[in-house]
Amino acid sequence: MLFSRKIPWVVKYRPKKIDEIVNQEKAKKLFIEWIDTWVSKKPEKKSALLYGPPGSGKNSLVEAVARERGFELLEMNASDYRRASDIERIAKTSSRVRSLTNTRGKIVLLDEVDGISDAADLGALEAILKLVENTQYPVVLIANNPWSPKLWELRNRCLMIEFRRLTKTDVKKVLRSICASEKLVCDDDAVDYIAERSEGDLRSAINDLEAVGEGFGRVTLSAARALLRARDRDLETFNVVRKILVSRYAWQAKEASTQTDLAPNELIGWIHENLPKQAQDPEDLWRAYEALSRADVYFSRIFKSGNWDLLAYAVDMMTAGVALSIKNEQHKFKWVSYSPPETRRLAAEAKEANRVREDLAKIVATHLKCSTSTVKSDVIPLLKVIFDNNPEYAAKLALGLNLSDSMIIYLSENMGSQIVKHIEKLRQEIRQEARKTMFEQKKSRVSSSTAIAKQSEKKEEKNSKGLENFLKK
Amino acid sequence: MSVEILWAEKYRPKSLREVVDQEDVVKRLQVFTKERNMPHLLFAGPPGTGKTTTAHALAHDLYGEDYRLYMLELNASDERGIEVVRTKVKEFARSKLPVDVPFKIVLLDEADNMTADAQQALRRLMEMYVDVTRFILIANYPSKIIEPLQSRCAVFRFTSLRREDVIARLKWICAQERVACDDRGLESIHEVSGGDMRRAINILQAAAALGEVNTSNVYKVVGLATPAEVKALLKTALFEGDFLKSREALRKLMITYGLSGVDIVKQIHREIFSSEITVPEDLRVEIADYLGEIQYRLVEGADDEIQLSALLAKLVLLGRSLRQQPQPSKPVKR
Repeated sequence: MLFSRKIPWVVKYRPKKIDEIVNQEKAKKLFIEWIDTWVSKKPEKKSALLYGPPGSGKNSLVEAVARERGFELLEMNASDYRRASDIERIAKTSSRVRSLTNTRGKIVLLDEVDGISDAADLGALEAILKLVENTQYPVVLIANNPWSPKLWELRNRCLMIEFRRLTKTDVKKVLRSICASEKLVCDDDAVDYIAERSEGDLRSAINDLEAVGEGFGRVTLSAARALLRARDRDLETFNVVRKILVSRYAWQAKEASTQTDLAPNELIGWIHENLPKQAQDPEDLWRAYEALSRADVYFSRIFKSGNWDLLAYAVDMMTAGVALSIKNEQHKFKWVSYSPPETRRLAAEAKEANRVREDLAKIVATHLKCSTSTVKSDVIPLLKVIFDNNPEYAAKLALGLNLSDSMIIYLSENMGSQIVKHIEKLRQEIRQEARKTMFEQKKSRVSSSTAIAKQSEKKEEKNSKGLENFLKK
Repeated sequence: MSVEILWAEKYRPKSLREVVDQEDVVKRLQVFTKERNMPHLLFAGPPGTGKTTTAHALAHDLYGEDYRLYMLELNASDERGIEVVRTKVKEFARSKLPVDVPFKIVLLDEADNMTADAQQALRRLMEMYVDVTRFILIANYPSKIIEPLQSRCAVFRFTSLRREDVIARLKWICAQERVACDDRGLESIHEVSGGDMRRAINILQAAAALGEVNTSNVYKVVGLATPAEVKALLKTALFEGDFLKSREALRKLMITYGLSGVDIVKQIHREIFSSEITVPEDLRVEIADYLGEIQYRLVEGADDEIQLSALLAKLVLLGRSLRQQPQPSKPVKR
């Protein structure tokens, strides 16, 4: 086949039949029984929540069942259905009674439901609940972590089906069969290495196998190591950080920092992340942070002045300076597990909320003629107080400042929807007022023709026009 | 009324005649509007004393209602780079003069936050286009404005508003808004706002939204407006000695609230002297001293989180003596 090489293996070797799904017998049985109750039209629960670690076969099972039983899949993942309106659209399709001409049933599939954030995806969870209530077709929800508190109501309405983490043996079995189909020479130890690394995530294991096979034409342990090593960098960096923190001599700590290809100003983030886990004595921790803080000041001077000679001192402080600060031997050499720097990940997760906050700050800043940082530290907290405590007044303010719904929710998660409703009411009132004044104008035009009346008419016209313009906005 | 805006905007003086409490400044500026001529100006003074408002009022009195046509406003803390000076400011400064006005105005708010480069670039523009454009620079700290710029400007110093003037203004706003208020409530607003009129009016509006303006509502507003994480950060570091937990609160402040390192230091500073935090008095002073050190490093340093973590580590250390003894049974008097 000409194009066969271009199809990613995870797609190419996706299970076509239910039987091909590895080692999820219990989940399979539960799910198929549930789907079969839909044929007799008497399901106890209209929705099933499939959960388990990534790459354990949740999506594959739904697809295989749909294919074998002849269901049409209405599929959406989190990026498609962030807004309530999107879900309502599917809900409409799925609540329609099954037509007689179209004999195929449907399965509605919502992937990554745990990825819905309540603040950003306004009303999405409520919309899903409604969808589950009104649907005429099976609704399947998929999540890695179903225990998040925001999902509790969904959990009550769903049949919970757990997928187990695949074992190394399961993963190896699949990898070997792929090697055979691709006529790829695969060394046993290499397959073992890839399976080990995957931690039961079959999808990532297949991707790794493909990367090594494509790159080297043969899957050997050294090839696998060379290629997949980049992804082991976390582990390697942990080792470097550990070496730095447990050093007894300045040279040891300095030398350890040369064993990574991370730039020093990145490495400092890793040290900062894990230092408090190793230096638990308050005095040690404080001394170590003094050193880290000095190193950071040096970095800043380097960036500002372009004087890279200073780098040596920054590195001294963040390695030797930190290492020698940790005096408590009991803590210093204790093995604790490390983690990569959190800040960047957190910042990426908060991106949507940040955008809302920045836009809001800009609006308020132009009104108050001050900087957005003043708004963020001084004004937004006060607005939050108003929005949390006085929804009616908040609605008037939101209208006056022309805030978007997501800004309103940002200002008050609890009262947000109530405020939005108030605004709708206010808008109607304004509309009615505008209509009334226009009506009175017409009346007065007919009844009187004195100059005074005309003058007042003009005034009113202005008012109502202003209101109309405002409403258009 | 079915639509509301922020009172700080609603009751902002439009003309120099309405500006409160800066008599000397206003008198001198009114000479400029009468003669329809003025030098470059530098307004210096603490926040919330009416610098920006006065600049707008001046332009209003010079050009009338549509004064914004003849004025370029740049909030320097948002757009402070040299690029903006070279493009946006230069373009406006050199553009031809409309027939009906003697000069245009460039208003640079928070000019002390501009980089030294940008200030240097500004210096040339102020010389070259002085016949058609006048600059008004606004700064909290005039010493952060480079010497050559200062020497090109007439400097106006704004002083903190008098307590009775702030209270009178707040009372007047309450009357306009038909909001119930008592004197003690207004006094406490003045106290918590530290003479910053904008902050005072914002607090007034929030307190009014809770019903009426009295002391308990004012303190309630201020308490609610301080992110719970600031308190959590202090509590976990000082009293529990849990560095990791307090770092979590710190991250929340930086990421969820989008606060800068300096803002967080300032919030902690406000909090550390409040009676809610029960620590020995000398510890408050020691913490304040270190806060100052950290704020300095924040301005010098590259990574807010590392610098603030150093602060947390210090708090954990300072709190050790508190954790070893049982907590004092009665709060220490302030």
